[in-house]
Amino acid sequence: MRKFLLFVAVLGLAVAGMAAEPRYGGTLVIASSQTFKDLDPRVCNDVYSMYVINAIFDELVTLDPKTLKPAPYVAESWEISEDGREIVFYIRKGIKFHNGEPLTAEDVAFTFNWIADPKNASPNQTEYEWLEKVEIIDDYTVKFIVKEEWAPFAPALTMETTGIVPKDTVLEMGDEAFNVNPVGSGPFKFVEWKRGEYIKVVRNEDYWLTKPYLDEIIFRPIPELATMMLELETGGIDIADNVPAQDAKRFMEHPELGVVIQQVPSLSYFYLGFNFSKPPSNDIRFRKAVYMSFDATAAVDAVFQNLTGIRAYGPLPPALWANDREYLKTIALQEDDEKAKALFAELKEEGVIPPDYTAIIYCPPDPRRIQISTVIATNLIENGINAEVQPLDWGPYLDLLYRSEENPEGEYDMYVIGWSGGPDPYNFLYFLFHSDNATVGTANNFSFYKNERVDTLIQYANTTLDVDIREPLYIAAQRIIVKDIVHIPLYHYIETRGVRTRVHDYYVSPVAAMEIVSPFNNVWVEEE
Amino acid sequence: MFAYIIRRILQMFIVLFGLSVLVFIMLKLTPGDPAVIMAGLGATPETVQSIREKLGLDRPWHEQYWRLVSGLFNGELQAMTYHVPVWQIIFERLPATVELGLFALLIALIVSIPAGLLSAIFRNTLVDYGVTTIALMGISMPVFWTALILMIIFGVTFRVLPISGRGATIGAWSFLTLDGLRHLVIPSLALSSVLMAMNARLTRASMLEVLRQEYIKTARAKGLKESVVLLKHAFRNAMAPVLTNIGLQINTLFAGAVLTETTTAWPGMGRLMVEAINRRDMAVVLGLALFLAAVAQVLYLLVDLMYVWIDPRISYD
Repeated sequence: MRKFLLFVAVLGLAVAGMAAEPRYGGTLVIASSQTFKDLDPRVCNDVYSMYVINAIFDELVTLDPKTLKPAPYVAESWEISEDGREIVFYIRKGIKFHNGEPLTAEDVAFTFNWIADPKNASPNQTEYEWLEKVEIIDDYTVKFIVKEEWAPFAPALTMETTGIVPKDTVLEMGDEAFNVNPVGSGPFKFVEWKRGEYIKVVRNEDYWLTKPYLDEIIFRPIPELATMMLELETGGIDIADNVPAQDAKRFMEHPELGVVIQQVPSLSYFYLGFNFSKPPSNDIRFRKAVYMSFDATAAVDAVFQNLTGIRAYGPLPPALWANDREYLKTIALQEDDEKAKALFAELKEEGVIPPDYTAIIYCPPDPRRIQISTVIATNLIENGINAEVQPLDWGPYLDLLYRSEENPEGEYDMYVIGWSGGPDPYNFLYFLFHSDNATVGTANNFSFYKNERVDTLIQYANTTLDVDIREPLYIAAQRIIVKDIVHIPLYHYIETRGVRTRVHDYYVSPVAAMEIVSPFNNVWVEEE
Repeated sequence: MFAYIIRRILQMFIVLFGLSVLVFIMLKLTPGDPAVIMAGLGATPETVQSIREKLGLDRPWHEQYWRLVSGLFNGELQAMTYHVPVWQIIFERLPATVELGLFALLIALIVSIPAGLLSAIFRNTLVDYGVTTIALMGISMPVFWTALILMIIFGVTFRVLPISGRGATIGAWSFLTLDGLRHLVIPSLALSSVLMAMNARLTRASMLEVLRQEYIKTARAKGLKESVVLLKHAFRNAMAPVLTNIGLQINTLFAGAVLTETTTAWPGMGRLMVEAINRRDMAVVLGLALFLAAVAQVLYLLVDLMYVWIDPRISYD
């Protein structure tokens, strides 16, 4: 599969390589499958609005797409203290916001302190839970102070998603006005937001990094994927942010349509989770029997047609270090209906599964997750367990999984959900399996899995930044988690975008960002 | 008549008040906490709580209701997730839906009335069967499906029309520019399909009813030309129920607009409603519901007043 993806990527680059020299000018039209919500990076927490924010704002650090490590951007360098509680960033001189104001330490400190301050109620506050405060050392140096309990493991990586805002302009305009008229220091300047229709940005002629090739970018929300695919086919848009498997296949088989499919394995993990707070799902025999009732690999291959998703064997995506994929594959349970039936019969006899039991598999309103849930439910029925799929809208779904004080055990046995994290195993293992995150109200460990050994391994890995020490700890934690069948790992999504052949130097970011001009690329388009 | 109008306007306020309470309760009872949705997966309880406080969702229900309704009336209520006042976002989207609805209605009338008429005149002939079958298809086919078929035919196969979006506008109106007008064709054709079918069937039925009346026989007995009988005597009278029904079709139009606007990425109020419900933006949902209800009430009142004008025997005094 990875070889195939590599082939696709190389093919894309080869097509790009055959084209003429880069040229200045032209409009790039990017379609988003959701409407844009926020243009202020301090409050924006949806990937779609981030497409626009990426073009208007600059971040302190960026993500190197090859190494998945932080690379210099607004900060030209940084130093982390030995105890990990202080990170000093040296800010590049000469960067100006679109209104001519210089970008200084004051703006950086203001941006991050504002997000971390609970009174501002930023949805991004959670990402900066580790941040005590940002201090200004001089005009171009800032110090991030990490809360004691988070040191020395400073998740500074999350900073690649936060653009720096101009303090004086924000204070002058007010937060709400700034959100709809953003001023950044990035490669493009904000021009117009016609809500529900498009957002237009134009080239920042004085961009400090390089001169952007494109004259302007139009970001268009097209909620109906079928419509988006027709627009892509006819050249109404240049980049589609989401391509269903069947369309990806069609574009690959018909190069004359002028669309290249670009893919990169995303840092995501989708799974069927079990509720550890109540029977029968807290009994490992039940979890084992469910796992052995269906062929997970076949289900994933059928839904994603071997194109936009690959089978998961553990929580860490293959692109991430410490993923232990090869070993976990060898211990993954295979479909074995006889054994599953026997286990279910045993559990019924013991009364763990009540006679009138119906297994409900909850899932969000995503066709792919509904399809996989349906495969699982059908196989359970064949093995003698009544089962049904219950798709819910995101609001009710999160309400269900977060549980309530009145019903702390939760009203679900099985649920299908996904998780996308930053490029560090910590972002997956701590949030999904540590007992800290099994709290009624807003859990992330929706299974309410509590295992002291796993907690200790994850915590111990957080006491150092040395990857050689952390890796075996994370591997050990994963092996326990997988053997306990906390989840049935289903798939890792492959970020799939449709790009017209006239677009060059575009790459798909593994964290779903929309990189148009960065230290690693500068997109240009051929004349139509 | 004046007293009647005043009475109806007072009734309108009672209906709007009842509706506002109903919509508010429905929104509160719908699972899905707006603060949880805004904070997204992975948020800490503290983040969710601070968002809840900021939006006033931690206040008692009656306070929340009063804040929303009074804010809507004095025009100061901010949308929860759009960063602008509720009325601003509604009036930004209004022209797109009005334009789409009026064009759909216009196309529907231009096609459906002659079709219904022909169908009635040539009853039980191939013309009648043809019109009835097409009308049945129009009613049965979902609007989003019709829109997709039109996109494939005109946008992909023949490449004569843009597939989605609104194109260039002058002020808030796209039909004033050629580009905007071209963008309007597919969504308004799709939306018109339902109205077209309904109106064609209604015209046919109404015309058949009129043709059975005694005065038509009298007109024919007088030796009037068939065209005069049909167009002057029958058609005019048959049109009364069709035209009054148009005022009542606003609900159908808006329901169709929700689907058409989503499929064709048309930035109108229908799509706004879907977005606002998904985001649990109570301020926008309530504002839109009350606005649409008020428009519907005014239209119903106008239709009732039209009866007096059409049929002098009716009086409200």
